[in-house]
Amino acid sequence: MSIHTKTATDAIKRSPFQAISAIFVLALTFFVATTVAILVYASNKSLSYFETRPQIIAFLKNDSTNETVSALQNKLISDPRLKDVKYVAKEEALEIYKKATEDNPLLAELVSPSIFPASLEFSVTDLKLAENVINEIKNEAIVEQVGFTANIGGEKSLGDVVGRLKTISSYVRIGGIVFVIALGVTSFLVLLVIVSMRMASRKGEIEILSLIGATPAFVRSPIIIEGIIYSLVGVLTGWVVSFILWLYVSPSILSYFGQIPVLPKDPIQFFLLFAIILGVELVAGLIIALTGSLIAVKRSLKKTR
Amino acid sequence: MISFKNVTKNFGSINALDNVSFEIKPGEFVFLTGPSGAGKTTILKMILRDILPDTGKVLFDNNDITEIADRDVPFLRQQMGIVFQDFKVLSERTVAENVEVALAVSNAPQEDWAKRVSHVLKLVGLSTRSKLFPSQLSGGELQRVSLARALVINPKLILADEPTGNLDWKTAEGIMELLEKINKEGKTIIMATHHEGIIKHAKHRVVELVDGKVTKQ
Repeated sequence: MSIHTKTATDAIKRSPFQAISAIFVLALTFFVATTVAILVYASNKSLSYFETRPQIIAFLKNDSTNETVSALQNKLISDPRLKDVKYVAKEEALEIYKKATEDNPLLAELVSPSIFPASLEFSVTDLKLAENVINEIKNEAIVEQVGFTANIGGEKSLGDVVGRLKTISSYVRIGGIVFVIALGVTSFLVLLVIVSMRMASRKGEIEILSLIGATPAFVRSPIIIEGIIYSLVGVLTGWVVSFILWLYVSPSILSYFGQIPVLPKDPIQFFLLFAIILGVELVAGLIIALTGSLIAVKRSLKKTR
Repeated sequence: MISFKNVTKNFGSINALDNVSFEIKPGEFVFLTGPSGAGKTTILKMILRDILPDTGKVLFDNNDITEIADRDVPFLRQQMGIVFQDFKVLSERTVAENVEVALAVSNAPQEDWAKRVSHVLKLVGLSTRSKLFPSQLSGGELQRVSLARALVINPKLILADEPTGNLDWKTAEGIMELLEKINKEGKTIIMATHHEGIIKHAKHRVVELVDGKVTKQ
């Protein structure tokens, strides 16, 4: 162990309550940061899920021929406002119905493919264009009816759902980021105060070290190492607590949201997501520790001189 | 090795040093003497570049230390060993750790620390005290720790500011014997003291200061 690390760990042992308070505040910050990061991830994922659903379904008349359907499909594919154009035949429509009613097989047994209309499903590149597109499609000769997919929470169209999700997502993001920044600033200030206190308590030692030829880097090294120790322990504690919590609740969340991939279902992806968050938090923690310690040390050394 | 050329220093209206000039050759043992406030400590602080003169030059190995950049001051100090009247040992470190700090400060290879610390503690007679903390030592032992810390970096020059000031005569004699021994090994020693008995007994060159002026060399 280097002399600086030993000095830092000795200082922590001598003032355990200062260390505990620094670690506690940092752990709280990074617990909230991890939780907010996961919430932002989940809201982005659900938003992306709904955004990539086919937004418009043109149900085709029973007398449409393959040629007329192909002609309309090609027309839709060549329209720059539209994307992900897909033809759903009657049989496929029945399969979708069966899947949707798999809890009650009797419902599926009572129907045949003939009662389901074939359809052309597609999305618009910009939801603002949806209304015009729908009106145009309605006028097509082989189109019986035009519908929207999602009907969640009483919303009438997918556009409304996506709009609402975007609002929720931005609230989560902005609220979460503001909260994390507030906690980050608090952690930074707590670290600043603790490092300043440490410098004040080491004033005599610093004077002696300076007289025997210690460079400023030598004087500040133990203090910075101490800040880094607080930060790393704080980050790891906050992250581990949040990770355990998400690990515990994720089966219920995945089951509740069903098809919507709010959290990765694959354990490797799940761990990878948390590993990325940990990596970012370690960098953030180091930045807080380094800037907090350096500012406090610089101020204190200035006063000492 | 050390040369003061027409050095003047004022602290407000107080004339701490007034046109002081003297020279100290390598290997010399020089007493800086004079009453309290005569300017002894000011001279030592100038050699350490803890304070700067208002006018004049202070040369160390022919380099004017008043002109070196602040960032180079630690490297200047690493060439000197310092012994203080109030010992200035680190209270939360053991005797051995106090000595090790000087090695760490001067970037000595860590694998040599144990050997060098052990050697210097043996020299000052503190081998059996290496694991004790300063609060467990007597005044004389604390001064030996301070001396061991100064010696361990093998400095060219040792500055001792009233090293016997807080010690009884017998203990002071022990410290003087050590300084004599170190001087005989070729180290230059500048010792500020107003202890007449020590000065008479040691028979070394004396630079006497009164009211910031050199009255005798």
